[in-house]
Amino acid sequence: MAPSFPASAAGTVKGMPREKIDTTTLNRAAPAADAPVVLDEVTKRYGRGRGSVTALDGVSLSFAAGSFTAVLGVSGSGKSTLLQCAAGLERSSSGAVRLCGTELSRLSQRKQAVLRRRRVGFVFQELNLLPELTVAENIALPLRLDRRPARKADIEWAAARVGLSVSQLRRRPAQLSGGQQQRVAIARALITGPDVIFADEPTGALDPHTAAGVLRLLREAADGTTVVIVTHDPQVTKFCDQAVFLYAGRVDRVLPYPEPTMVARLVAELGERAAGERG
Amino acid sequence: MGGWMLSGIRRGPGPLIGTVVASAVAAILTVAALSTAAADTEASAGRLAGASVVVAGSTNLSVTLGSGQNANSESLPLPAYRGVPGTLAQRLAQVPGAASAEGESGFPNGTVRPGDADLVAVTARAGVPADLLASRIRAALHGGAGYTIATGAARGDVANLNDAIERSNGQSLAGAIIVPIVLISLFVLASTTALAVNLRRRRFALLRAVGATRGQVRRAILAELAVCGAVGGALGWLPGAALGALSVRALAAHQMLPAGSAAWLSPWLLAIACGASALVAWLSGQVAARRGGRTGPAQALRETAAERKWPNPVRVVLGILAAGGSGTLAVFTLDQKSAAGQLGLAFPLLLACMLAIALLGPLLVGFTAWLARPAAAVGGAPARLALAAVAAQPRRAASAVIPVAMAVAMVGTIYFANTSIQHTTAGQASTTVTADDVLSGADLTAATLRQVRALPGVTAAAGVMPLSAAVTDPDLDQAYGEAVTGGPLGRLLDLGVTSGSAAAPRPGQIAVSALEAGSTALNVRTGSKVTVYLPDGTPYHATVSAIYSRSLASGDLLLPASAAAGHTGTPAGYSQILVDGGSHAELARFTAGHPGLRVTSRSVANEQSAQAAAQNSFANNLILGVLGALSAVALVNTLVVTTVERSRVLRLLGRVGATRGQVAAMFGWQALFVAVTGLIAGAAAGAVTLLTVTRAITGSWTPFIPVSAGVGLVAVVAALALGAVMIPFGVMSGREPALAA
Repeated sequence: MAPSFPASAAGTVKGMPREKIDTTTLNRAAPAADAPVVLDEVTKRYGRGRGSVTALDGVSLSFAAGSFTAVLGVSGSGKSTLLQCAAGLERSSSGAVRLCGTELSRLSQRKQAVLRRRRVGFVFQELNLLPELTVAENIALPLRLDRRPARKADIEWAAARVGLSVSQLRRRPAQLSGGQQQRVAIARALITGPDVIFADEPTGALDPHTAAGVLRLLREAADGTTVVIVTHDPQVTKFCDQAVFLYAGRVDRVLPYPEPTMVARLVAELGERAAGERG
Repeated sequence: MGGWMLSGIRRGPGPLIGTVVASAVAAILTVAALSTAAADTEASAGRLAGASVVVAGSTNLSVTLGSGQNANSESLPLPAYRGVPGTLAQRLAQVPGAASAEGESGFPNGTVRPGDADLVAVTARAGVPADLLASRIRAALHGGAGYTIATGAARGDVANLNDAIERSNGQSLAGAIIVPIVLISLFVLASTTALAVNLRRRRFALLRAVGATRGQVRRAILAELAVCGAVGGALGWLPGAALGALSVRALAAHQMLPAGSAAWLSPWLLAIACGASALVAWLSGQVAARRGGRTGPAQALRETAAERKWPNPVRVVLGILAAGGSGTLAVFTLDQKSAAGQLGLAFPLLLACMLAIALLGPLLVGFTAWLARPAAAVGGAPARLALAAVAAQPRRAASAVIPVAMAVAMVGTIYFANTSIQHTTAGQASTTVTADDVLSGADLTAATLRQVRALPGVTAAAGVMPLSAAVTDPDLDQAYGEAVTGGPLGRLLDLGVTSGSAAAPRPGQIAVSALEAGSTALNVRTGSKVTVYLPDGTPYHATVSAIYSRSLASGDLLLPASAAAGHTGTPAGYSQILVDGGSHAELARFTAGHPGLRVTSRSVANEQSAQAAAQNSFANNLILGVLGALSAVALVNTLVVTTVERSRVLRLLGRVGATRGQVAAMFGWQALFVAVTGLIAGAAAGAVTLLTVTRAITGSWTPFIPVSAGVGLVAVVAALALGAVMIPFGVMSGREPALAA
């Protein structure tokens, strides 16, 4: 399960990096071609001309098969944009994104959608579930979209993996707690047996105890699946193989086997840096 | 996508209720229009029930318009019998299979030419079917050209000529009304569905994120709309059928359908209503579905609803073009020399103005919000919040303002043009007559007129009789006017002759109103040759002797009485005799000696013209009712949906300490903004057209707007806007304990 990351990045980890890292080399590091998610020199700009904002600035990263990665950074550092570009929810302005071995820019919108429902799972912070569908129907959503039969056994299997009971399958999302709703979202992400699961602040709206439970579930249930979680919560990294820190749209550092206290300190440092630059 | 997606409608129908309501209203109108259009208007054969075959001179007037390749034939049911030779009955009695044949004359609308019969009723011998007899009669009449040969139900129309006219009136109204109903239903449904899709775009984004293709989202939306349409159709079926029955009764009461007509109330209407309604919803949802399908999957992740603030540039450019077009058209219209020319451009002008408002609505709302900033300072925090909400989402506010503006422009123009015309007609009815006295009664004949002229001191006297005549203006239509005799007319009537002779037209002459003479109507001037068709279809070829402008009360045509005599289906005579000079005492003595004669008020009484006007206002009010209902649905639906959507704002305001009164005031200001902006925009769009129409028909720049109707329009708009906002607010705030009382 060792993440295959550029040597330069991995090298900084050993002695807990205090010194400033040469992020230019980091961003240019050659990505591993066989990883299910590879970003090569990806830049994302919103708007045009003077008012444009660069959310991602030449980011190169790869997420190895089976890795469990947290993407951290202060608000506005480009975390969510990174996830959206990697998952093909947004088109990058330049650079290349390879998802499950396919260069996304070569796929039509339709083929991207098909790729998403067959090989990618999503868990969002909120509006994860369609309120008018039952829990079972929400879990089966990617199968139905793919016109595949949604067998009861499959749905129950996915539900069981996240600890949902059969009786809960008939309920509607509004009848479940926040933590239970996130479990449904994870079950939905798992139902197709995806290569990659992207999660954007999946525990953002949950209390620390419930959040830990949901993450543990995700970690166990996703056995073998590549997981990329965008978060600002250092505690999330407890379950991760590595943590990627973004600052101003660039990769600031990559930390293998992160430890939450350490991560918290790094996040705080990034926050101070941002405040310093603003002030 | 499978039916499972549709389970959403069943379990969470909230955002789609508006679409169902709009579909239901569209279905009600469609069903009503259909059951009216397909009404059973068969008239009973009445007095001719005993006849197997009825033969009359053709009861239709057919005229070939244009020439060469553009020639086309139009026909119109005649109000009077053409008459057949009295000898026809004997001829028809000889036809094999005929038992007897009898000529009839003297029934209402019959000719009075001596020796002629209105129709011949033929009875078949026992065992001879009516159709066989009819075909033999047709053969005997050398193909039957120029005759109407009726059997079975068709005999009713020959028995009562008015039935055919009334049916044709009703059909032309139905033809005129169905297309606008469909178009406006489409517009209302399209805006409703656009809103329903727009409000749920995060839901569609989630679907896109988990792998739905654009096509899947689009098909899901269309399937939803089709279901909503079908449900709306089912809901609209019975009320629509009831409305259809009512409208058939109302049309019959206004002589626009034969008495005793019955609406078509077949169970098929349910299928048609559901099918048509689903189809309309499906069609109107195309744009919205396309937009829903284009929702970017990343939108599911965005916290704030990042709705585009301004309309897309294509819409703005089209809107500016429409506004420019309206301006140019307005200048061009007012520049038209003839009133008829102005009238012809009035409706395109109204459409152009409304199109400009519909396209530029969001910009208009943004501009109004900017203008209203001083008002916000007066209204305090609630007004400022309301204005900020409007300014932040001008497109959303515009979706409520546009139906208000449309309704006000349409209703205002059509209704107030009508009131202006009625007002001027009433005025002209009394001011057109300058004679000292008017005699009326049942039995005014040429002899009566001679006697009146002979009274001492009488300087002028004329008999007038209302008359309808078919004209090609340029379509074959009935026009209304008067047959006159006597004079000098200038002393009796002030017709506002603009060219030609003020004297009564002599045989071979005709006077035409300026409206009817215009280039888009008859296109004649003094000295032109024109052919009009008298009630029994006899053509009257005449030279235009005068053009006059004051035609609202007296009608559009003035013919010599001698030309019309014997062709009108009524006994020769007059409905009024206008007298100038002479003493009242003499006149009183004269009327005393003639029972049934009386001196009446000095005004023109043209019953036919008045009936046509009454039918016109009824048709106008019917169209207005439909437009009003659809606009109200669009307005209420938009406001309810956008208000409910602001429940989060409501909660937030409650949490930061806003009182219930303050939040209510905020919603109230928003409703007020929508009502006022819509009223002003609609009034501006309608005013240009209203002034043009008023000026063209009445000659005055001042439209007659009854205070009660004006206030009523404003009150209805305000009540709808406030109700649609405040009632959902009341429900929502009741569920929001955070709001301080």
